[in-house]
Amino acid sequence: MKNRLKLLRVERGWTQEQLGQALGVSRQAVNALETEKHDPSLDLAYRIAILFARPVEEIFENPHG
Amino acid sequence: MLTPGNGGTAAHRKYVFRTMAFMIPYAIVCLTAITGLFDGIIGKPTGWILAVVVSLPIMGQIWSTLDLMRESDEFVRAVTARQFIIASGLAMAGATLWGFGETFAGAPHIPAWMVYPLFWGAFGCVAPFVKSSNG
Repeated sequence: MKNRLKLLRVERGWTQEQLGQALGVSRQAVNALETEKHDPSLDLAYRIAILFARPVEEIFENPHG
Repeated sequence: MLTPGNGGTAAHRKYVFRTMAFMIPYAIVCLTAITGLFDGIIGKPTGWILAVVVSLPIMGQIWSTLDLMRESDEFVRAVTARQFIIASGLAMAGATLWGFGETFAGAPHIPAWMVYPLFWGAFGCVAPFVKSSNG
């Protein structure tokens, strides 16, 4: 799923490890999200949205519309 | 799983420790059986005790893997599940192929317990190539 996660993370000067810790997931999970190798669950997508204070749709591209 | 080397999480470290704890006794019993130490009970009803003892570590290993998945995040869980399903499928396909080969083509007999090493062999081949959760 296309997303702006890497851009948002880099804007804040965070490493993948730091973002993973903030979200409660592994660095591999952050890397997989950024490289579109993992589509997040709704729960994780909302956690990311809250962390970056943005709507989910601004971070993840809706693949259906 | 993704591979213990690149994980480094507490869950992965626990998994590696448990794997060693289960697989070392498994290997010791297998090797001891090969040396003939258990020849006195092989072929007798008490041989079932040996069969159960050598099978218990496998149950433990499966539990250890499920526990790793439970303690991991959703990405690791999904990738591990994919790797297991593919490796299981390959092991079952290989075992089925050989079993029918024995039945229909006179292939030499291979003991059924070989399916477990076959599974892990398949897992080792699959894991480096299955790194995404979404195909």
